[in-house]
Amino acid sequence: MAENRAELGCLMDTPSGQLASRILKRLIEEKLFRPADEAKLLSNLAEGKLKPEDWRLAIELAQSKEKKE
Amino acid sequence: MSTSPLKRLVIGHLRGSVIPFTLPFEKGKKLTVIYGENATGKTTICDAFEFLAHGRVGSLEDRGLGKTNRYWHSVGKSASDVAVTLETAASTCTARVNRGEVVTVPPGTRPRVEVLRRSHILRLIDARPGDRYAEIARFIDVSGVEASEATLRELIRDLNSNRDTAVAIVQQNEEAIRQFWESAGKPGTDQIKWAEQESARDVSAFQVEQQALGKLRAAYQRVADYPEKITNANQTLDAARVAAAATVKHLEGVLANAAEGVGELVSILEAAKPYLEKHPNPAHCPLCESAEKVAGLRERVSSRVVQFASVQKAKRDKQVADQIVQAAERKLEDLKSDLTRDSKAFEAAKTAHQWQPSVPLPKQSCPIDLTALADWIKSTSQLSAEWQEAEAALQSQSQFVSTLKQALKTYKANVQAQKDLDRLIPRLVRALEIILDERRKFTDGVLKAIAAKVGDLYEAVHPGEGLNKISLELDPNRRASLEIAASFGGQLGTPPQAYFSQSHLDTLGLCIFLALASLDKPEETTLVLDDVLASVDEPHVERLIEMLHSEVIKFRHCVITTHYRPWKEKLRWGWLQNGQCHFVELTKWTTIGGLQLIRSIPDVERLRQLVAETPPDPQLVCSKAGVILEAALDFLTFLYECRVPRRLDGRYTLGDLLPALNKKLRDSLKVEVLSGSGTGGVPVYNTISLAPILEELARIAQVRNVFGAHFNTLSFALLDADAIGFGQQVLLLMDALTCPDTGWPRNSKSGSYWATAGESRRLHPLKQPT
Repeated sequence: MAENRAELGCLMDTPSGQLASRILKRLIEEKLFRPADEAKLLSNLAEGKLKPEDWRLAIELAQSKEKKE
Repeated sequence: MSTSPLKRLVIGHLRGSVIPFTLPFEKGKKLTVIYGENATGKTTICDAFEFLAHGRVGSLEDRGLGKTNRYWHSVGKSASDVAVTLETAASTCTARVNRGEVVTVPPGTRPRVEVLRRSHILRLIDARPGDRYAEIARFIDVSGVEASEATLRELIRDLNSNRDTAVAIVQQNEEAIRQFWESAGKPGTDQIKWAEQESARDVSAFQVEQQALGKLRAAYQRVADYPEKITNANQTLDAARVAAAATVKHLEGVLANAAEGVGELVSILEAAKPYLEKHPNPAHCPLCESAEKVAGLRERVSSRVVQFASVQKAKRDKQVADQIVQAAERKLEDLKSDLTRDSKAFEAAKTAHQWQPSVPLPKQSCPIDLTALADWIKSTSQLSAEWQEAEAALQSQSQFVSTLKQALKTYKANVQAQKDLDRLIPRLVRALEIILDERRKFTDGVLKAIAAKVGDLYEAVHPGEGLNKISLELDPNRRASLEIAASFGGQLGTPPQAYFSQSHLDTLGLCIFLALASLDKPEETTLVLDDVLASVDEPHVERLIEMLHSEVIKFRHCVITTHYRPWKEKLRWGWLQNGQCHFVELTKWTTIGGLQLIRSIPDVERLRQLVAETPPDPQLVCSKAGVILEAALDFLTFLYECRVPRRLDGRYTLGDLLPALNKKLRDSLKVEVLSGSGTGGVPVYNTISLAPILEELARIAQVRNVFGAHFNTLSFALLDADAIGFGQQVLLLMDALTCPDTGWPRNSKSGSYWATAGESRRLHPLKQPT
């Protein structure tokens, strides 16, 4: 956990990490992503590791959460 | 990366350091100014930082030397002798050359260092847009996010394609259902509703009916076969009986020709033959038990059996014919029995199912009498074909419903898929819009922040010249390409290279370097500026120095080398905001001694040392105190516009300056000295009146000339304590008037007093009292 936090800290030192954080905040604000997914998607988004299926799953999970609510 | 303060730099045999050279850093000071004339080794110190941090020696590059590492070591030494060590409060890092590579011990401890050399000051301005982009890529390189963005675009493209396919398939499904609907005569108003109703029909009912028909038809077929089977069986029986009668007749004929009783005799002989085969030499006859003629009995019996072979054959033929007749009779009986069973089975099949009215059935029950059965079959013979047709119709209906059901299912699945995509795709598109928007804002924000920082720094050096509107823009048509523009003559967006003077461009280059460095972990970064003031023109150099002083405190440390002598003098006299400044001076470099350092301390500190020496030297104390007092009086008379005698050379003595501060002014001169802060952070000041100090100095000022300026026999009559007292009074004045951190009170922005930076000293009044 501590290592993850350290990695996240290093990530946030990079422009990609900072931009990814802003993007995720907006996506969550607009309910396109679930807040619970933010941490696990941040590093993948910043490091270019988010695959098409990851995008789809994240959006569909938020969509299904919205439906339930 | 470490932020701990620097303690010392030790340079061993790198470039000019022919013997190991140590540069100690003063505790609590983040700026080190290294003053030295040309060829004193300033650049070697900058090289040492670059060697340690980046494994190269930048001063040798771009000189047409090719690979420069063969020139890194000092004369008479080799690459393996080169070592640079930076000691900080927390750790020590040493760099050495190992097999042509610069390695650090411990590994991974290279400090962050940014080096700007005079020759590179225009590098960012003159660079091609692509190279310029590379310089700032560390701030705006979001290639990771761009890669993720690309996969989102790919997903949207694929899903749009999937949606197009789903739409086409929905159309195909609709067309197929429409055709079914039309072939069914377009019942109802809507093909889909009709298809839903049709699909809801129970296909199993068709199958049950179909199976029942199959069973009925099979049962009927079994019954229908009996007339022919029974006729055939009767014919077979008749034929068998005829054949049997013929064998009887033949046997009678054979027996008639043979002796009477031969038939029975043959039987006896036949019966004896197996016994004699088993007992070939019996002691007596098995039939009469007589021993007479018992010899050769077996051979004689065999011979007689052969003699009666035709009788035997006729008898066997008759037996076989009788058996055939019996078998034919049994078969006929079995058929009749089976007919009864199958007739009942047909009736059972007929009544076991609730038939649709359209299914034709025999009006009479299936008879078991052969004649009646033949008539019954004749009258119902068309039914089997009709049942088969009904079965085929049911099969077709069942298949139709199944096909329709599948078509409807596919249709609904594709409609659902289309709907899902219609909900999903706009969300993905919105996500992409957000990414594009945030990426643009982020990049613009970073570039604007850099440009604003550059503009602020530039404005500090060139205030009011209107040249601070710097802009950095990415070329939208070319990836990784950065344009730089400035305001000139009120016109925005002009390339500075085209209109700015060389001096302005140099300042701009320095400002860009400082701005970029200050935005990238400055607290971990040591700045090294190698003689960058040289090309700045005189009117701007002082503001540039002040800007550097205020800017470098954000960094871990800053080392500035210079051969600009006025800076040295201004630092010496505390005329700059030199609180964070550690000033050192290099003397002439020699091939034997290498770099030589002089500990440069402000004159006030030097005076303090002279006064504190045991025993003190009155001549040195008076000499140093006199010069300092002249500087202080020069400052005060200039500040309050006091009257002094005009002279061509502008030189003033204590005799000119002390009276220039008239009594009214002396009495009003007070200094508030910041001593700390009270409750709520309110600054607390101690007030010192300068009048008693100045009056005492006026009284004893003559000792300066007696002791400190010339050989004078008057000094024989004076006490050393008078000389030391003069020095102490000067120190009192300087301690009150100047701050060791922020220099002299030169700022009048308050409108009521003169202040140092941070208001550590407040000098009253603002103007000479009238």
